[in-house]
Amino acid sequence: MAQAPHSKLGISAAALAFLGVLAAGGARADERHAVADPHFGEVLFYFFQEDYFSALTRLMTAQRFARVPHHAEEAELLRGGMLLSYGLHQEAGRIFQALIDAGAPPSVRDRAWFYLAKIRYQRGYVAEAEDAIGRVRGPLPGDLEDERLVLHAVLLLRSKQYPQAIAMLRQTSKRSGWAAYGHYNLGVALVLAGERDAGVELLDEIGRDRARGEELAALRDKANVALAYAFLQGGAPARAEPYLERVRLNGLVSNKALLGLGWAHAALNEYERALAPWMELTDRPAADTAVQESLLAVPFALGKLGAYRQALARYESALDAYTRESARLDEAIAAIRRGALVENILRDNPGEESGWFWRVRRLPDTPEGRYLTELLASHDFQEGLKNYRDLGFLSRNLKAWAQNIGVYRDMLATRRQGFAERLPRVVAGERALQVERLRAAHEREVKGLERIESEEDAGALAAEKERMLAVRLERVRAGLERLADPAQREAAREKHRLLRGLLTWDLSAQYSARLREEKKALQEADRLIAEAEARREALLREQAQVPARFDEFDKRIEALRNRIDQAQADVGAAARAQEDYLAELAAAELARRREQIATYITQARFAVAQIYDQAVRTSEKAP
Amino acid sequence: MKIRSNELFRAARLVLGALVLACGLALAAEPQKTPPPAAASNPQGLDTRIQSLKQEAMELNRDLLVLEEELLFPASTQVAVFVSVDVGILFDLDSVQLKVDDSIVTNYLYTERETQALHRGGVQRLYVGNLKAGKHELVAVFTGKGPRWRDYRRGTTLTFDKSTDPKYIELQIRDETRGQQPEFRVKEW
Repeated sequence: MAQAPHSKLGISAAALAFLGVLAAGGARADERHAVADPHFGEVLFYFFQEDYFSALTRLMTAQRFARVPHHAEEAELLRGGMLLSYGLHQEAGRIFQALIDAGAPPSVRDRAWFYLAKIRYQRGYVAEAEDAIGRVRGPLPGDLEDERLVLHAVLLLRSKQYPQAIAMLRQTSKRSGWAAYGHYNLGVALVLAGERDAGVELLDEIGRDRARGEELAALRDKANVALAYAFLQGGAPARAEPYLERVRLNGLVSNKALLGLGWAHAALNEYERALAPWMELTDRPAADTAVQESLLAVPFALGKLGAYRQALARYESALDAYTRESARLDEAIAAIRRGALVENILRDNPGEESGWFWRVRRLPDTPEGRYLTELLASHDFQEGLKNYRDLGFLSRNLKAWAQNIGVYRDMLATRRQGFAERLPRVVAGERALQVERLRAAHEREVKGLERIESEEDAGALAAEKERMLAVRLERVRAGLERLADPAQREAAREKHRLLRGLLTWDLSAQYSARLREEKKALQEADRLIAEAEARREALLREQAQVPARFDEFDKRIEALRNRIDQAQADVGAAARAQEDYLAELAAAELARRREQIATYITQARFAVAQIYDQAVRTSEKAP
Repeated sequence: MKIRSNELFRAARLVLGALVLACGLALAAEPQKTPPPAAASNPQGLDTRIQSLKQEAMELNRDLLVLEEELLFPASTQVAVFVSVDVGILFDLDSVQLKVDDSIVTNYLYTERETQALHRGGVQRLYVGNLKAGKHELVAVFTGKGPRWRDYRRGTTLTFDKSTDPKYIELQIRDETRGQQPEFRVKEW
């Protein structure tokens, strides 16, 4: 089913706004986006999948962690655009104003002024919106420019600057969906404002357009119907006819077109021709207002043609149909009041996430659903449904978080317990290292080495083998003195002195290198001991800080859990209130339809009475 | 016999007049009317209440995401692996397998929507986990369709140092136009 121009604008406005946010400079909106911070890229990953809630919350998280420094302004523009489409005008307005105040570059500033104009217009501040749109200097990127032109044209229209508004619209791109809808809106507005010729010209362009796709074909039908009715109302039924003949037989407004075509013929006293479209209508589903009206129009035309008996029969059957329809409306109103209308609509119109471009396109196949086509085209009802749907999304989102937060609380408790259990073991292990003893031993070694160096005690640095050799030489020297033969003793002494000298020589030769090695080894030991000391310090710090960190997490979890509980309750209450409101809107619409039928019944009865009255008078006059 | 049709015609014209008006108004698209949105006609305060609830829920989500990250992936141990696609004409991504220090940490199968988002410049956070400071090895294996729509499987490896700051690694899929082959690069942020 084609949607009303109204809804198209709703969708496109948001969609194009988003794309425009991302288009940099003069680039097309759909071109690839260069990313200088991976977390900004992650936001875009969700954004391009139209998961806007995730995109927005992740953007806010990335901003909290200061992870989008290279896209700071663009990120704000994106956030503002998403908030605006989510209906959060105030926050979005603050963001755009802050970007302007902070002296953002011209391309960012222009987009911020445009969004401010849009917000102000949507909230009814027309003069302020005009001021803002007037501050946009250069063309906006991509399709956003067409949206700007349409908004500017609408503002000019409101201040009755018709030629300027038309000129503005003429600048829109032919390819853009905005152009067709912009022309249509302006055309209807001009006709309603009494500027009929200008309005007719615009609408006629759309009415003759070789529309591409169902949506634009539906728009073409609507333009033709609007034109025809304008001429019918203006007393020019002959001019209405060609427009009505352009309308498709099975479009969204085909019933209105058939009804109008009948009235156009009737106004020209061509009642036989009027009967053709009206008879076609009477076979269509009776819930449609044009069909209901045709039930009266057909006998009216028959009466005009003098076929009173047939007219009477048609009035009688119309009365039956109206009575049945009235009873069905009563049932439908009762069904709406029992609830489930909104749930039925949502069930038949699924969509992902908190789809901000989502709109209801199908009505539920229930008794009440058939009557709500017009209501569905209304901004109020669609916005209400969207709000209700958003609340449903928030409810599921909060429910998931409520479960997660419980898991985090348990996880934290487990960590706290683990920490308490492991800490004594770690502390004991740390004690086992006996860092202080090692430090004292290291200091003793340092002092020993200082003594060796100051006394140049090369022997103290002797290797194990050399120490053994020195001991053996000492033992030999003691044994020498016990030798009886003086010559032999002297030769042995000489040999001992030589060997002792050799040992001393070796020790002296290696002293410097050994001293260096010793110093290096002590430095390495010092480094390792320092590391152990640092680790112990960290452990002691952790020992003092971790429980505090656990406490801090506990507090945050508890506070967030309370916020989730509160939000769940608030969302539930708001959803119920919203559902009641939507049911009231629907019930009021059905009641209005019932009143309309009551009027038809009165008219039908009046006509029947007139026919009988006429018949009686005729028979009285008869001889 | 002749009915007095003028009254009925007048009544019908009245109905028609109402219909024309309704038609004009119903057909008018949004910007043409002064659009007091839902707030104006919703029950008093309900729309405002819903807007502030949405705001509160978004801020709550942000605070929860912040808590989740600080609790599960503290900065000192956090490692995040991202995937991006530059052009991507020569390779149509189906899945990625990621190993860290020889353990499979994720196997990810892409949907059409996700690959489209990557092509448009979105960057996926494929994995976030915890690693101790020191040297680590990451292996990513990409599977999909390569040039001439043939099955394509290619791996890339990175050895990296993890300090006490968070570590961000981006797996980039690019088109190497000279060789008409896809190219898989790893970027450390």
